[in-house]
Amino acid sequence: MSAPVLNAQQTPAAAVEGFSRSETVTLAWPMIMLSVFFVIPFGTMLAVSFFERVPGGFFEPGFTLDSYARFIDPFFFKSLGMTMMIAGSASLLCLILAVPFTWTLTRMRHHHRVLWLVALLSILSLSEVIIGFSWSLLLSRSTGIGNILVWLGIENRAPKLSPGLGAVLTGLCYLGFPYAVLVLFPQLSRLDPTLHEAARMLGASPRRAFMNVVLPNIAKALVAAFIMVFVFTLGAYLIPQLLGKPQQWTLPVLIADQALFQSNLPFAAAMSIFLLGVSLSLVVCVGWLGRSSQARIEDQSTTQSTTQSAAS
Amino acid sequence: MSLQIAGVGKDFGKQTALSDVTLDIAGGELICLLGPSGCGKTTLLRIIAGLESASRGSITLDGDDLMQQAAHQRNFGMVFQSLALFPHLSVEDNITYGLRLRKMPAAARRQRAAELLDMVRLPGVAKRAVSMLSGGQRQRVAIARALAIEPRIFLLDEPLSALDAGLREAMQIELRELQQRLGITTIVVTHDQREAMTVADRIAVMNGGTIHQMGSPIDVYRRPADKFVASFIGQTNLIPATWQDDRLIVRGSLFDPGQAARDNQHTSPDSHETWLSIRPEELIVLDNNAASPPGATILEATVRFIRDVGASIEAHLELPANDNQPAQSLVALVSRDKVQHLHSGDTTRIQLTADCTVVLET
Amino acid sequence: MTHTILKNRRRFLAQSAALVGAASLGSGIGRAQAAETLTVATYGGYFEDSFKNIIYPAFTEETGIEIVSVPEPTSDAWLIQLETAARANSAPADVSMIAQNAMLKGQSTELWAPLDLEKLPNHTSLTPDFIHTYSDGRVDGIGAVAWYLTLVSNTDVYPEAPTSWAELWNPDNEDSLGLMALSSNSFLLEITNATFFKDPELLQSEAGIEKVLAKLAELKPNVALWYRDEGQFQQALQSGEIPMGQYYHDVAGLAAADGHPVRSTFPIEGGVRDSGCWAISRASSKQEAAHTFINYMCRPDIQATLARKVGTSPTVKRELLDLSDEEFASVSSADTPITPVYSMHNERADWLNQVWTEMVTS
Repeated sequence: MSAPVLNAQQTPAAAVEGFSRSETVTLAWPMIMLSVFFVIPFGTMLAVSFFERVPGGFFEPGFTLDSYARFIDPFFFKSLGMTMMIAGSASLLCLILAVPFTWTLTRMRHHHRVLWLVALLSILSLSEVIIGFSWSLLLSRSTGIGNILVWLGIENRAPKLSPGLGAVLTGLCYLGFPYAVLVLFPQLSRLDPTLHEAARMLGASPRRAFMNVVLPNIAKALVAAFIMVFVFTLGAYLIPQLLGKPQQWTLPVLIADQALFQSNLPFAAAMSIFLLGVSLSLVVCVGWLGRSSQARIEDQSTTQSTTQSAAS
Repeated sequence: MSLQIAGVGKDFGKQTALSDVTLDIAGGELICLLGPSGCGKTTLLRIIAGLESASRGSITLDGDDLMQQAAHQRNFGMVFQSLALFPHLSVEDNITYGLRLRKMPAAARRQRAAELLDMVRLPGVAKRAVSMLSGGQRQRVAIARALAIEPRIFLLDEPLSALDAGLREAMQIELRELQQRLGITTIVVTHDQREAMTVADRIAVMNGGTIHQMGSPIDVYRRPADKFVASFIGQTNLIPATWQDDRLIVRGSLFDPGQAARDNQHTSPDSHETWLSIRPEELIVLDNNAASPPGATILEATVRFIRDVGASIEAHLELPANDNQPAQSLVALVSRDKVQHLHSGDTTRIQLTADCTVVLET
Repeated sequence: MTHTILKNRRRFLAQSAALVGAASLGSGIGRAQAAETLTVATYGGYFEDSFKNIIYPAFTEETGIEIVSVPEPTSDAWLIQLETAARANSAPADVSMIAQNAMLKGQSTELWAPLDLEKLPNHTSLTPDFIHTYSDGRVDGIGAVAWYLTLVSNTDVYPEAPTSWAELWNPDNEDSLGLMALSSNSFLLEITNATFFKDPELLQSEAGIEKVLAKLAELKPNVALWYRDEGQFQQALQSGEIPMGQYYHDVAGLAAADGHPVRSTFPIEGGVRDSGCWAISRASSKQEAAHTFINYMCRPDIQATLARKVGTSPTVKRELLDLSDEEFASVSSADTPITPVYSMHNERADWLNQVWTEMVTS
């Protein structure tokens, strides 16, 4: 019985010592960086979103909700819906490709794995412009991969695959793929490989074993990877405009138009804040869903074990 | 179900992990694959399970070619070293996973899970999460899960290595009882020779990708085929000796190893070095006063150290160096009443007899 | 290579420009150190480099006035900087090259110093519509350079050159046009009006604009790409992927000269002529030198040099230029151009953007 009491006495003391002078100094630097690179720009954006737009000119400091009032418009919500749909589908597609790929990667020999990871990391160094432009060439009729079908005699004329929804999703998937792999890789390589083998010994085909045993055990990484790719593709504005038809121009494309071409910074800022809010709440929702389902499993087992120990 | 393994080998790149293993396992038999780590025993088990492909050779089960079947088609039960219990499923769902794949109705599955848990003496934990179980309990769940599918062959890869010593011995006995009750053909991989001696009908002692000796536990212990087996199974004293045609010379003395050993030598009569293996409990230490039996081979030794290990006394002896050979340490287990006269530093005598000495073939 | 550099000069609204500009706000660049210096701002990149290397040295040699060249990011961002600085009675540049929309915005705060035509004798060489005025008739800008937006086509796909903007509506051209994505840089409303309605008053009212927009919407099935990136369209045009569209006359000419199957046609309705003005900040203390500079830039021989070396369309009358017909045709046309309705883009910016985007994306 004395152990918990001892613990309780130790904890506050440890907490006080926890913030030594040197640690405060160490913490200060990230805090400064955070405020310089995040809080200040974000604050500026928030302030500008309430400024008054001077039609045909600039904007003036003030407080007005005019820019936000422009959201009350079916067109805006259609764009928002399209944006979410595109980012959601791209992330889902990305995961569907990245999960089996990463699984295979963790089972490769060391030096093959390193080669693949280096190749993936080099994709990260490509800018969105280069990715968008390359895919628009690859999916075009004259220079694109469709010509392989002609060469194989499957089609008479190479299909034009860009611009269109498929092209946008392809581009966004390509953009998000390395991130998805990098998030999934540690979790999948830590997963006990004998789990999959055990399921196979019990009669599950490799595919079935993967779905039944591997996927449920990397659920957290799946959620993390989804959120990562979703947020990332949500912010993309060059790929939708390079590879998409106007119907696929996402909110970020419209924000860029407002900021760069219409010089309507208050409206652009308001849309950015709104998009940020929507994506943040989505992230929180998904995270909360993930946690609560996890908690449900643990809850269940706790209650049961309590009942059992009470019974025995 | 009898299993025939013929000429099975496995190469990883240029390295040979397993070279041409041949092994027949009778129905209902429990075989231990015993050897140090890296000896190929786990590779062999995984090939039998279908988790690894063989580079050559064949495996048949009652004449049924297993090489044509994937792991999930073989209907073999396997217990992994890590146990590999599914963390996201309850105990019951773990046990009935294989039954669900076989489309057994839910009620029947629950019934079966309860029976299996009773069988492994773990009633009432069906709904628990596996993370709530102790090591021994997980062990039992893993065994129940593997047996739930009524496997044709039961495979265990170092199943008890995660348990502490006391629990491990109890589980060994339980496992053996269970196996005999079910009469299921079983293969256990282990590096623990005591475990192998406890559970196995026959032991295959493996090293360097080959089977060195295959035999009953007592056979392997009493009649080790070679130096590796003799030293890996239990404790032994290895004394170098020399065949000169059909005469065996041990540290300058002539020694008659018995008819069987001489017959063996007659098949290839030449002169070569060999080893004598004498188990500590079979090493005969003569009384100081006793006269040497006539014609017996007697070696002089110095007592270095005496240790009381409870049931008997362990004496550490040393054969002194001579012109040809360096000094050699020996260990003898002697009964308490015979040992009053032994003191550190004394000189004493040991007697070699054909009964208690094994001449190793290599 | 030339095209990519060339096209950058028109990327007035370069993406990072606004930020770059804001950072250097009011830094007092170019406040005169000596009496005989003048600070001139032109679009950064190819444009500024060309002026610095080709035009300014000759000017300094002739007048003794040293030019301090500063790059301006975009007209809109530069306007903000000029205005903010002018309120503090300073001028980051005495003379700036300013796009038409920005000229109008600057008028609202009287940012531009009125120009004295007496001190600009060369202004008579200019085509009259290149003299920019306040609504009360005061002159605030003098045409510096101009460029044309024309109908371009791939010569492999269209052996016959199209003759009219009406080709954009031709159902035969389904899914084969590349048009600019924004109303304020494509000037498609002006093109539609000039092609089908020919009513100069039509774009002065919302009802009229909606009428033109409805006509414009009819060509949407023909549009394969609404582009913001000029390089993307140029590549597709050259390869024949998107064989027709609107593009810059001079850049298309350079692509053709490089051997690409591309041609630029002035349609019978005229090409769209856009231009930039020289304007003086009201806070500049170098009014005399600034007038000298602007007057110099209006000289036909300087305009001819710009047409030959920088690829811009001259703002002076054709007959005063010593350009060969071929040289002239590579940058301009003697026919009456379509003139953008800048007031519409300026005064109805938000409304127009909304209806335009809805039209394009629906």
